[in-house]
Amino acid sequence: MDHWPFIVAAYGITIGATLALLGWSMAVMRARENKADALRKEHRR
Amino acid sequence: MHGFANPTRFLNIARPLTPWFLVLGLATIAFALGAGLFYTPPDYLQGDSVRIMYVHVPTIWLGMAGWAGILVAGVMQLVWKHPLAGIAGRAIAVPGAMFTALGLITGSIWGRPTWGTWWVWDGRLTSALVLFFLYLGYIALASASEEQGGTSKMAAIFGIVGAINLPIIHYSVTWWNSIHQVQSITLQGSTIDMAILWPMLVSMAGFTLLFAAIVLMRMRTIIAGVRIEARLRRMAEG
Amino acid sequence: MKAKHQRLTLAVIAVVAVIGAGFLALAGLRDNAALFRTPAEIAVEPVPPGQSIRLGGMVAEGSIEHLPDGVTITFIVEDGEATVPVRFSGITPDLFQENSGVVAEGAFDANGVFIADNILAKHDENYMPPPMEDMASEATAS
Repeated sequence: MDHWPFIVAAYGITIGATLALLGWSMAVMRARENKADALRKEHRR
Repeated sequence: MHGFANPTRFLNIARPLTPWFLVLGLATIAFALGAGLFYTPPDYLQGDSVRIMYVHVPTIWLGMAGWAGILVAGVMQLVWKHPLAGIAGRAIAVPGAMFTALGLITGSIWGRPTWGTWWVWDGRLTSALVLFFLYLGYIALASASEEQGGTSKMAAIFGIVGAINLPIIHYSVTWWNSIHQVQSITLQGSTIDMAILWPMLVSMAGFTLLFAAIVLMRMRTIIAGVRIEARLRRMAEG
Repeated sequence: MKAKHQRLTLAVIAVVAVIGAGFLALAGLRDNAALFRTPAEIAVEPVPPGQSIRLGGMVAEGSIEHLPDGVTITFIVEDGEATVPVRFSGITPDLFQENSGVVAEGAFDANGVFIADNILAKHDENYMPPPMEDMASEATAS
């Protein structure tokens, strides 16, 4: 049996899912922190 | 305001640390997986499929280490009322669940060419699947308290009780007849040849750094959310 | 009211997840959580013919025989204390070989031969590169 399709699938799923989680975490964090900063500045005025 | 003292000090450390963990983690993973795919030798028995180890072991390790983190956070939350502990537990849950799922999936993909099956209801495989469902339960419990900005005591207790599954996963292959081979790395040493072992260790280090970066990001997200809520409430009041 | 509903839904999901986890744990733990029985266990506590079980052990050295029909093999599973003869028709995993671990799913026939429907290979905890001469010949070939 050729093992490479299995290897490629395992690596592809792992790398894809990890990058997706990373991108999502980063996007949500940026949006939330920017909103918090904007609110603080608005409140100061 | 003194309640914010601790999170503020935390953010002063977490903000500069996040990109370092992120970049170091990604670089380490890229190096380890590149070596594991193209440089290291195949196994004498399994052939090339042994390379799946370099993604399987780090992902399932993070699934288990993540729950160990939830256990520690739960104890700190309940015993010392540490303000960051509940946030840390919640921040670990989603990445922990995803890496457990990846560990299960990569293990299944590895099982097909080596054992001849994608899945069997075996002690090790079943207890790892239970870990994934425990994560789902924890996430549901933790988000039930999210809109109050609070951290759920229920989730903390659930996290502590659920930790009983960790030794079950670890010892399942020793206690019961299993399709899964027993531990290769023990206190007595390793039964994996160094030529095959080293990318796995490097990969584990890299994925752990990346996991830390993601947890820091999730903690910052939760803290920012709590602050937004507090600010909005004060603005509404006056 | 809406937030309360949401909390309720999440609590229900949590309860379902916990019950699901418990159910799975029990399903996995039945039969003392053992995936298979060894020849020694079967020698002490015989399994009636026709009852499907999993048999696990090592494939005895020199015991694999190919029958003339081309798809059926017979071999002996041993665990150092007892042995069980096995017959199987079909494709075996790559790792199925003599002196290596095996898990066979099937049942005993009336003559005490284990008729396997499915064969799984079990490998041990040792990982190492192929022997030197293999690597050398591979290197010269490529």
